[in-house]
This record gives sequence, C-alpha cells and structure tokens, in this order.
Amino acid sequence: MPAFRARGLRKSYRLGNTEIRALDGVDLEIDAGELVVLAGPSGSGKSTLLHLLGALDTADAGEIEFAGESLGRLSERERTLLRRRKLGFIFQSFHLVPVLTAIENVEYPLWIDDLPAAPRRRRALAMLDAVGMSSRATHRPERLSGGERQRVAIARALVHEPLAVLADEPTGNLDSRNATAIFDLLAALRRERGTTILVATHDPALMARAPRQIELRDGRVTADERREGVA
Amino acid sequence: MKFARFALRNLARNPRRTALSLAIVAAGTVGLLLTAGFVRFSFDGLREAMIHGGLGHLEIASAAEVARRGEAALDRPAASGIADWREVQSTVEALPGVVAAGANVHLMGMAQKANGASVSFVGVGVEPGREQRMGFKTRLRAGDPLAEAPPAEGEDVALLASGLAAALGAAPGDIVTLLATSNEGMLNALDVRVAGILTTGVQELDTRFLKLHLASAQRLLSTDRVSNLLVGLVDARESESARRTVTAALARHGASGEFAVTPWTKRAVFYAQVRNLYIGIFWFLGAIVFVLVILATSNTLVMAVMERVREIGTLRALGTTAGQVASGVLWEALWLGLFGAILGGIGGAALIALLNSANLKMPPPPGAVDPIDLRLAYVPEAFLGAIALMAVVLLLAALAPVRRATHISVVEALGHD
Repeated sequence: MPAFRARGLRKSYRLGNTEIRALDGVDLEIDAGELVVLAGPSGSGKSTLLHLLGALDTADAGEIEFAGESLGRLSERERTLLRRRKLGFIFQSFHLVPVLTAIENVEYPLWIDDLPAAPRRRRALAMLDAVGMSSRATHRPERLSGGERQRVAIARALVHEPLAVLADEPTGNLDSRNATAIFDLLAALRRERGTTILVATHDPALMARAPRQIELRDGRVTADERREGVA
Repeated sequence: MKFARFALRNLARNPRRTALSLAIVAAGTVGLLLTAGFVRFSFDGLREAMIHGGLGHLEIASAAEVARRGEAALDRPAASGIADWREVQSTVEALPGVVAAGANVHLMGMAQKANGASVSFVGVGVEPGREQRMGFKTRLRAGDPLAEAPPAEGEDVALLASGLAAALGAAPGDIVTLLATSNEGMLNALDVRVAGILTTGVQELDTRFLKLHLASAQRLLSTDRVSNLLVGLVDARESESARRTVTAALARHGASGEFAVTPWTKRAVFYAQVRNLYIGIFWFLGAIVFVLVILATSNTLVMAVMERVREIGTLRALGTTAGQVASGVLWEALWLGLFGAILGGIGGAALIALLNSANLKMPPPPGAVDPIDLRLAYVPEAFLGAIALMAVVLLLAALAPVRRATHISVVEALGHD
C-alpha cells in the first residue's frame, strides 16, 4: 500500500512580478516503509514537494493521498493534527527549541498531544537511547554539537511513531562523518520500525546509498531509480 | 496551563527585555497605587474635615425649614428652628451609637469695636462640651477655647476668625459688640469678650466667621429655639442606619414629620464634588497608564514573536495548533502582567511608606489657609485591582503579537533567518 500518492502536483510562488513554478505536474507513489531520496539541484522543487507531502503547504493543483487520506480535503486543524500524529520532520538546521532540554525537545510531540508525563518521559528516553543521546538528555541544544542536535531532532521526529518522516537536507549542516552517521541512523530506524522516510538532499554520497532515488529538475520528476542492496 | 511553564522559559531567554517589560508594568502599577493612595487619603481627610469641622454625621432640623431651603443649606434661621430641642436632644442621645447631639444657633449681623471698626459676620452658637465629645475641632490661633459651661449674662465670650479679628483690629481680651436682628425683628446688641482667634481653614470664611456659646447666641437673638442639632456617631459608616433609627425614635417621641434627619453625605455637596473630581482624575490617569503600558509591552511582545518566527514555524510543523501557539504568547503576557504588578505593588508599598515618613507638605488648596500633609493611604483593593488590571492590560497588549504568531505561514517561517 502506498504511503504517499501524488497526482499532477503544481505549485507556484510569486517573487516580485515573477511567477516561479516550483512544481510542474509531479506524479509519484511511495510505498510504506520505503527510504527514498529526492535529489536535484537547488530550486528543483525538492523542498516544495516535501512541504506539500508533509501537509505544511497546499498545492495549487493536483492531489496528494497520505495513508489513504486526501490532504486537499483536510481543514487547517486536521492537517495540523495529521502532522502531529502521523508525520515526523527533520530540518537542515535542526530547529530544536532552545529553551527545552534534549529530552524535552523529544517529548514535545507527545506533550502537545497530552500524553501523561510518565509514559511520555519513558518513550522520549528510549528514543534518545536509540539515537545514542541518552547521556545528553538534560542538555539544552546550545550545549550540543551539530551531529548531536540532529540526532535529537531525529529522535523528536520518530518518538510518536509516525507513519513517515520527511527530512529536508538533514545532513546539510554536518561534516561528512556525521552526515554518514545520520544517514546510517535513518536507514537503521527505517529497517527496525518500518517507517517511510523521504530525504531531500543534493549530497551525492547519500544519493548513492539510497534504495530509491527520485530526481527532480525544474519542478518535474526526471528520473525514478530503484537500487538493490544499498542503505 | 500547558504552556505556562514554557512561557516562563521563553521570558527567561531574554532577561533584559523581560526586565524592561516588568519595569514598565511595575512603574504603571506604582503610579496607580500612589494615585489611589493619595485619592483615598484625600477622601478620608476631607470626610473627617467635613464631619468634624461642623457637619456632624446627622443633622436634625425642622422639616419645613429643610423643605424650604434644602438639605444642603449650611445655615438655618433659629426663628424657624426647633423649640423643644432639649427633649429631642435627650431622646437622640439615649440611642445606641450616638455620641452626642449638639444644638446650634446660626446667626448673622454686624460686629463693632470701640475704635469704630465694624464688619459683618456670620456666626454659630454651639455647645462646646458636646462639640468636644463629638470630636469637632476648633483650630485656635491665639487665646482660649470656649468654656463648656454657659456664660452668665454680661460675661459672654466669642472666638473670632483670624480675618474678622484683623478687620476689627481685635485681639484676645478685647470687647466687641455684636448686632443682630432678633426673632421679633428688633435689633439686639451683645457685648462679648474675645476669648480667642481661630481659623476655619477657608480663607474667605475667616474674614466673617465667629463662634459663640449657644447661650450667648440665643441671648443675642432673644430666642429659646435652636437652628438644628448635629448628631455625632461612634461610626461614620453607620450614618444611614443611624438616620433611620433617629427618625424612628423621633416618631415614637411624637414628632413624626416635624423633623428632617439628614446624613452628612447629603449636606456635603463640596465633598461629593471633590470626590467626583478626584475619581475622574484617577480614571484619567488610569487610562493614560493603560495606554502607555499596552503600547510599550505590545511592542516588546511583538519583538519576542518576530525573533521566534522560525521556532514558531517549527512548532507548527510538529503539530502545534494555532491556539496552542496563541496560548504560549498569552501566557508570556500574563506572567509579565502578574509579576510586574506584584513588583509594582511591593515598590508602591515601599514608596508610600517612604513618602509618609518624609512628612512632606503640600501647598494649601485653593481657598484654604494651611498647607496640607502629603499622606498616602494603603488601599488593599487597589493592590488587587492593579494586579487584575495589569493582567488584562497585558492580555490586550498580546492581541497583536498573538495575531502575528498565529498567522505565520509555516513554510515561510521555516525558511526565516
């Protein structure tokens, strides 16, 4: 069963008097449990596609189904709750909340969903342990390195057991050693939990390791390649 | 409540800005508390001055006279006054909560001194002993007060107000002749020895006022009647219930409808006017503080939101609803309002204590003679009111930032630097 199904996606932005066509008729299907890399140069539409698939933005035209639900039919609040419960996000700049400790950042998606404190803390600690950060649980983001911050962000994206995780350039601010480690972590979590993972990147090293790579150029899908025995 | 602690942490991330906001709220609170303290002290002082300066808590006068000249009239002719006043007096003084019921005779006429100076006067004949029991104050500038016992015929004395004494060239010990029209229309004269010089506290009244013993005033007017009886109560707050009790007692005495019993509040028109003026000034200042605090803190809260656009975008991406984002901003505002008002309350109380201990004087109000002490009252309800007001003010100030925070586009916010 596909996790995501997109048909005829179009999205434009206006920059001054110029209309920028970010997506120009994108069709794709991503199965549950897949790890897919969205590749392409800057401005190719990778981030825009992630935003639409992640219910962060709405398409000008076309339709997206996620886990059998049509995103276009959801209200703003329903899309918010969908993101809270069924999706996880990882950003290039980590975007941890600076006033919360590592474990509080990981707890956040459970906290806003009113999970009681004890199970919330237990699940957050287990998730931090899974990304190798349990010893830094009480540290605030400012006291963590870039790689550590991204591990905490991954823990936050997965703690509520989402159906899919969307990562926008998750290794963009990391050195190659940390970038490889983060990708390994995502791949391992995908294997263990069966979570669908979409990674937008233009890092060739990551692209080479992805079991499936969808290439975008000028807002269109120009290639969709599957590989065996990687990641 | 969910975002209350979160909001506290957000406030702590920029201590300088938070301190500035707290200082603004605290300063506004201090301003309100000092104003409320001054207004309350002024009300209390003016009320005491009115009651113990000559109004008493209740006035018993002829109902016909009150109907003719109104409840607020300060002088009532003895000719149309109370005849059986001693019976009324003993009836009223027997009631619980009544300190005394002092009889008064109002009069006016001409005062002359042997050197030929003559000045018109308004005067009052009083029972000094009862006045003293009721706490009435006579501000003597020289000489002696009136004796409690009625003076014998030919030994009448008077207290002249300072301006009248100056116009007559009279000093304590001098003899002054008072001329007034008796109830029968005859011109009567009475020689009085100046016992002392007083001030009423009001410059214009000081040029014409004098005070006699009740017996002397009745002698001058050739009457046994009195203009009114002023009743002093143990507790000023009981004026209205005492009015009903006195009215009922007079009715039992068989004088129902003959007398009008009026509480001081209805006679002190000046008090009501000053009170309304001060309340108006208080609300005007309150409105200024309200607007200033809203403008200043709203700007701070907007800045706090603008600095966190990307963070708010992240929270929204993670599934935080617009309502939850709004709740976070509103809690920040509420904490600023509450903490600022509490700090202002503490600061205000300290400043009130400091000012009261400094014994500062204020210039005499228009028409008054003496400077007045600057005293500020602690008004507990103003402290609570200021806390509630500041909470409301800050919540209002948060409306614009809340709107800003909840209308942020998630995608744009995530890309915000």
